[in-house]
Amino acid sequence: MKWSIICVVLILVATIVGVALRLPQLKQRPMHGDEAVHAFKFGELLEDGFYDYDPYEYHGPTLNYLTLIPAWAARAQKYADLSESTLRIVPVFFGVLLILLLLPMVDGLGRAGSVFAAVLTAISPAMVYYSRYYIQEMLLVCFTFGVIASGYRYTRSKSIKWAILAGIFLGLMNATKETCIIAYGSILLALVLTLLMSGRQSGSVLNTLKAIKPCHLIAALVAAAVVSVLFFSSFLSNPTGILDSVRTYTTYFDRAGQNQLHNHPWYYYLKMLLYSKYGSGPIWSEALIVLLAVVGFIVAIRKRPMKGVNFHLLRVIAFYTLAMTVVYSVIPYKTPWCLLGFLHGMILLAGVGAVALINLTQNIRAKVFIGILLIAGGAHLTWQAYLGNYKYYADSRNPYVYAHPTTDVFTITERVEELAKVHPDGHAMPIQVICPGGDYWPLPWYFRRFEKVLWWSEIDTNVMPAPVILASASMEPKLMEYFFLPPPGQVNLYIPLFDTYLELRPQIELRGYVTKDLSDSYHQYQSDKESPQSKGEK
Amino acid sequence: MRKKGLNSVVNVSICIMILTALLVVASCKQSEEEATTPTQPEKADTKPPVVSEEPVKETVKSVSDVPEEPVKETVKSVSEPPDVTKVTPPAPKDTEKVEEPVVGDAGTSKWVPIPIQLPKPMFVGTPQDTKVDNLEPPLGKPRPPFYAPPDIKNVAFEKPVSSTDEEPIIGEIEMITDGDKEAADGSYVELGPLKQSVTIDLEAEYEIYAIVCWHYHKQARVYFDVVVQVASDPDFISNVTTLFNNDIDNSIGLGVGKDKHYTETSEGRLIAGKGVRARYVRLFSQGNNSNDLNHYIEVEVYGKPAG
Repeated sequence: MKWSIICVVLILVATIVGVALRLPQLKQRPMHGDEAVHAFKFGELLEDGFYDYDPYEYHGPTLNYLTLIPAWAARAQKYADLSESTLRIVPVFFGVLLILLLLPMVDGLGRAGSVFAAVLTAISPAMVYYSRYYIQEMLLVCFTFGVIASGYRYTRSKSIKWAILAGIFLGLMNATKETCIIAYGSILLALVLTLLMSGRQSGSVLNTLKAIKPCHLIAALVAAAVVSVLFFSSFLSNPTGILDSVRTYTTYFDRAGQNQLHNHPWYYYLKMLLYSKYGSGPIWSEALIVLLAVVGFIVAIRKRPMKGVNFHLLRVIAFYTLAMTVVYSVIPYKTPWCLLGFLHGMILLAGVGAVALINLTQNIRAKVFIGILLIAGGAHLTWQAYLGNYKYYADSRNPYVYAHPTTDVFTITERVEELAKVHPDGHAMPIQVICPGGDYWPLPWYFRRFEKVLWWSEIDTNVMPAPVILASASMEPKLMEYFFLPPPGQVNLYIPLFDTYLELRPQIELRGYVTKDLSDSYHQYQSDKESPQSKGEK
Repeated sequence: MRKKGLNSVVNVSICIMILTALLVVASCKQSEEEATTPTQPEKADTKPPVVSEEPVKETVKSVSDVPEEPVKETVKSVSEPPDVTKVTPPAPKDTEKVEEPVVGDAGTSKWVPIPIQLPKPMFVGTPQDTKVDNLEPPLGKPRPPFYAPPDIKNVAFEKPVSSTDEEPIIGEIEMITDGDKEAADGSYVELGPLKQSVTIDLEAEYEIYAIVCWHYHKQARVYFDVVVQVASDPDFISNVTTLFNNDIDNSIGLGVGKDKHYTETSEGRLIAGKGVRARYVRLFSQGNNSNDLNHYIEVEVYGKPAG
């Protein structure tokens, strides 16, 4: 009993560390294009009170609906009222919940194994980075672990409440991201492989499966279906969403094979976890987790059980992790956040692997040495988590920074906000943003307070040039003609808005143009504002 | 006893999770209040000083009259028309589209808001990542013309090509000099993974002034370890000149390159030949940032017969 309390306390300490790494300065990192798109979609739900599931993009509705909670808490009523913290608190919450979900797994992974897994979840740089990222991935990982944890609890208690909870998590997975089918398939495959390995021995998975009451299974499936239907149908207001949730898989299967924009070699994720170094940046590695996971995997497949660990659970996790790693590596379409699913499996195995390493020897000195190595490795992971989130948060030398906007977006936004201060219409000042292929994200997020922004992929000559124009560098020759579109006598003079080279993302330059009179007004305003100060100084 | 203990752990866990959820929501509420506070006065401040209330009617000076203005060269052309006046947007054709009331400018003319049908931003998927070491910044404009003697031409057109991968995965080696520079399927040849090279036999000695190479430009890719050499013999023993090398770790084995990685575009990569005399042109590469494979759409060699 005493050790159980110590274990709970240590997992809570790990949770506090997890919160401390995830919660501060949620506004600091520029919004990624994907985050901004989700924010815009959420803005529609917030303002119109309606969500329409799109089978072609943006994944499932849980992220949008769950963001309503912090938005209401922050008393946000419009898209313009939202802040990065309001949005990013959602993945932070599920990143923290992922640590706490180890509590019901203590008797499955072992007390020490659970504590190690909790600590590694809390400090893993990838886990921390994407817990602060307004996308669905952390929710999916958390719900998947919810299925495993409540499923495991059901096998221990045979209580219908765990069966229903597992069903709810299954439904939430489905309503979060289409890639949940990879996790479903991996869990099923893991169960089958564990079944084959365990044979007919007592307490085997086969006996456990036989002990499942059909009515409990039905209750779980009904719970999953109800949750899924409720979310996809926008709480029964859009029944087509239910059909779309099935139709969507054709889109995603096509994308996995055809969209080459995010094609990467099979070893992309493993290399990222083992060793990454770009330019003069630091070396990034979560090799400790991968190596400990390998040890955990060996423990899982060997015949001799480990004290305090439920071997069938461990084998299910081991095969699940292996299947997830293989499938995600084989699929050419890869984005770094997709590694979270199998990285979490690796972390669970690594928790057991760490204990197995310490128990490898009876020699106290050797145990202390291994313990020191583990502490040093943990400190290194924590240091990387800090660097990745508070120093290299938008730096492409960080392996988890992927097609991320540069901090120049803050400069761009600040300059346009300053112009709005001197424009007669303030935030109703017309702005045109012209980038081929709609490649202007995340600016729609940063310009959310502006009422008249025209987002274009091409110049529309039916509309006169606005006082402020932002455009891709490649648009400049066409813009030169566009500036002279008004009839003689009404042509305005445009000058560059920015003094320096600014990038929306690395390699993607954004240029700005402002009418000279608006620029003059701004400079006049600035000098008026500064002159009392300079007089004071004199 | 043990089971009871575990049950209590599970029950405690559930209580902790509920408590944490409540705490996070509460902390979110607090942080939002803090975060939104500074934006309130900002909104109030958006009303500019008097100058903003009416549009400036006076003639705008040309750029040359405005000292210390950071005018880029490319925009200078805008200043060419003299006596440019502030634009007064024309009255909207469809008055129903006018979203704001007409604001007088204290003069005879009317300043009306632009009749904008606000287009919503177009949603796009995750943009492509270009995380590559030693990558040169984009030019941001069309490549400037490359000057060379007037009688030069593409001397590689339909000349024989050989490759280290004799059986390409996609396409035929001959496509590299067939004049087709399109990005579409059917226009490129896909060679196997790891280090690969293609060699073009110009069938005579030429003074080479430029080599233009298109690896693959359907997407913005970066090819690794690009080395371009010319020589007088097919084994590259005599008179070998390296014209381009961005193999920064010498993995090709031809020396450490000092050139930068570059992003493939439809313009291709132009490599200056400086009039070097050679008959054979060889191009190496070792995969790209999307996969391990090597691709070539076209290689052009601009030169004239060696006098």
